[in-house]
Amino acid sequence: MEHREPAVHLDRGFWAVTFALAIVAALSVFAWVVAPISGWLPEAANKAQQIDALFRFLAASGTALFVFVVGYLLYFAIAFRRRANDPPDALGVQIHDNNALEFWWTLIPTIFLVILVVFSIKIWAGIELGPNTGLTVEAIGHQWYFTFRYPQINGEVTNAMHLPVGQPVTLRLTSADVIHSFWVPGMRMKADMVPGLINTLHFTPRRVGRYQIICAEFCGTLHGEMDKQWFVVDPPVKYAAWYDAWQKKNSTASNALPVQSNARVAFGAGDAKIGQQLFSQKCTACHALGPFSQRIVGPGLLGVLHDPAHPNLVNGDKATRENVAEILQNGYKGDMGQMPNQTANALSNTDIANLVAYLDTLK
Amino acid sequence: MAVTAPQPGGIADHIHPEPQGFIRKYVFSIDHKIIGIQYIVTSFVFMILGGLLAELIRIQLMNANGGFMTPDTYNEVYTIHGSTMVWLVIVPMVTGGFGNFVFPLQIGARDVAFPWLNMVSFWMFPPAGLLLYASFLVGAPVAGWTEYPPVSLQGGPGTSMWCVAIFLVGVGTTLTGINFLVTALKMRAPGMTFTRMPLFVWAQFATAPLVMIATTALAAALAALFMERQFGVPFYDPTKGGSPLLWQHMFWFYSHPAVYIMILPVFGIISEIFPTFARKPIFGYKMIAFSSISIALLGFMVWAHHMFTSGLAPFLQLPFMIMTMVIAIPTGIKVFSWLATLWGGKIQYTTAMLFAIAFIATFTLGGISGVFLAAIPFDLWAHGTYFIVAHIHYVLVGGSLTGIFAGMFYWYPKMTGRFMNETLGRWTFWLFVIGLNGTFVPMHWLGLMGMPRRVAEYDPQFQTINQVESLFSFVMTLAILLFFVNALWSIRHGKRAGHNPWHARTLEWQIPSPPPYYNFKHIPTVLANPYAFDEPVPYAGLEDELTDSPAPIPAGAY
Repeated sequence: MEHREPAVHLDRGFWAVTFALAIVAALSVFAWVVAPISGWLPEAANKAQQIDALFRFLAASGTALFVFVVGYLLYFAIAFRRRANDPPDALGVQIHDNNALEFWWTLIPTIFLVILVVFSIKIWAGIELGPNTGLTVEAIGHQWYFTFRYPQINGEVTNAMHLPVGQPVTLRLTSADVIHSFWVPGMRMKADMVPGLINTLHFTPRRVGRYQIICAEFCGTLHGEMDKQWFVVDPPVKYAAWYDAWQKKNSTASNALPVQSNARVAFGAGDAKIGQQLFSQKCTACHALGPFSQRIVGPGLLGVLHDPAHPNLVNGDKATRENVAEILQNGYKGDMGQMPNQTANALSNTDIANLVAYLDTLK
Repeated sequence: MAVTAPQPGGIADHIHPEPQGFIRKYVFSIDHKIIGIQYIVTSFVFMILGGLLAELIRIQLMNANGGFMTPDTYNEVYTIHGSTMVWLVIVPMVTGGFGNFVFPLQIGARDVAFPWLNMVSFWMFPPAGLLLYASFLVGAPVAGWTEYPPVSLQGGPGTSMWCVAIFLVGVGTTLTGINFLVTALKMRAPGMTFTRMPLFVWAQFATAPLVMIATTALAAALAALFMERQFGVPFYDPTKGGSPLLWQHMFWFYSHPAVYIMILPVFGIISEIFPTFARKPIFGYKMIAFSSISIALLGFMVWAHHMFTSGLAPFLQLPFMIMTMVIAIPTGIKVFSWLATLWGGKIQYTTAMLFAIAFIATFTLGGISGVFLAAIPFDLWAHGTYFIVAHIHYVLVGGSLTGIFAGMFYWYPKMTGRFMNETLGRWTFWLFVIGLNGTFVPMHWLGLMGMPRRVAEYDPQFQTINQVESLFSFVMTLAILLFFVNALWSIRHGKRAGHNPWHARTLEWQIPSPPPYYNFKHIPTVLANPYAFDEPVPYAGLEDELTDSPAPIPAGAY
């Protein structure tokens, strides 16, 4: 069956709309080029700048394409509607195809995608294939918190990840239980923490500040709570001081600390009944008698000393009777939150012993 | 091709008598049209349940500290929401539902190749759905519709029920895939060469092998997860020598093609609606058909783009990034061809056409964010966040569901003989489009700024945006409720439609509405591609279809 295609005539309306869409598309490209992305979300590390550059490119070209598709869609939908005076069986122009048009709208996206692939690979290579040099730090995912290990120190930091500005870092990630994902939006990067597998991220912190660390892979009941730890970028001197303090704490932690606190508070004397009364007077304003997730100001304290699902204390120490007593005495103020000390709460040493005895009964 | 129309009374005209009795006719039916409607109705019932869960999610997220549900309940709710919408709504709707009802009619067949198998496929679906919802009684799964181990190994007993339920649905869709592939290859009316097949048939033809091959990988993964949970066989637990990444590979080897299972048939729906209401041929018929096939093929080569953050070997990541971007090319060809189909048309604004036009815009948005995510460095930023949630919902709600509504308004008169109410339809359309974009556009921003997905509580800085999204989601729910009211009301009270109210040219519109049990008194002969509107309808042998005589000739036994 011989079929002849009707001639296609693009009228002035079409070219006027094309021109208008080109202007809108150019404006939106311009808007993305000057968009203050680092103002919306700080660029904590060098890779963040590169990923933002890629995002600018994607967002600008994506918006331009969207403007053209939706612009033509609306224009055609309005311009080629059936009018009231058209006969009911009015037909459109009976064109079936146009090889030139189809060729170009296959080729142009292909060229664009080749550019995108090259651009992406360049940034990707810097992230994935970087040399394992510089400071090596390990991050470990737990249900439901992160811990960090530093060179030459055995202990695990539980409140924040400190790193010095300007120094290349290799971050090695793994998990102690299920899959977590270590995400710092300020770095634009994440990597999964897979049990039995070590993934790495390479970057150089470039801006002093505090950035949220978030778990981005579902990891159980309290997955949503895993956004309360911080990535702290310090000036080198401050970092060195922090590192020394952390090292010192660790070298003494294993034996000295519990003995010290034992000496201050006599646990044996604690009376759980009196502790229960004290708890209802002094603690319930901020702490619920419920699971960890039941947060008022601080977390719920049910099972704080016994439930293995209960995370570490606010200062990062393990939830033992000694460490709870220590926090009640000295208080704590840090990245994870704060706890007033015994003067602020008007607690005597005996009160603390009683409270600890009571908390010990919560299972 | 030289094909002569079969003579009335010839071998092709032997018709088995219609089964009698309610059970044989409407419950355990072997009629593809009844089975198609069974699929559609069942899917819509599950959509109401899944939608209810979606609103529970949105209520929980109106408060940054949660509180409406405990975290565990919230995790159960979104897991069942996702599982429902993927496996109990969209997949069965577009394959078993529209596929069963429309596609055998469009190729001029009396039924699918294996009608009894078709019945078996359908009857795996409702029990599987009930099993999935029964898991709430014992503690539903919590790890999202992806159920990554090891965390899914910790989930309650409902997780094993989830495995069984999804396995059952999977077996049903696999059988449907085999059935449709054979039907498309062997049951076409004389003269229906490949280049004369309607584009919806092309879409089903491309989807069938996808369903067949991909679903079996999911079945294996589910069986392994079930065995590990129930009998301790260590497939995935790394402390016993298993590999958590094994699940991710197996799961995405299914679930990425599954995205195309959910969208290719909808491409077919759009490709039927556009020419009908623009009153002009589909633009680039061959390229649209070819792009369906190439999307189906490429769909098997991209699964690991869901695993860029999981710790794949670096040089494994690159091919997956490149193949994913390559898929954008055939997808783009389709979108441009649809746009060109509108150009120069005489567009009639029915509700079906409105939904089809909205589909282009919303699906394009989902496609563009898909290209974003294919670029690995950007994926490192957006993976596992609300950006992904926005992307998947633009593809599945802005794409699949919008196309499903278009298809419902389009084929409802063929299914029931009556129109759906157009005024109500327009209300549905505008509320749906407003609700859809209001709910999902802001999620892109939330994800990039630091809101991870699957959280029962979140950073308070995002609370206002979440509240706005929730309000829009109520608008979308209202639109969907209006649709259900319309669909139910119109069964009895809709305006009578006649056999071809849209003046469409594919075969299903050339026979009465609803079509009789045997579809065609005489199998027609196809003379040309259906889309040339300036020529007569290209079929021979349809003269008797709309008359009372001759009566169909029963032959053989039921």
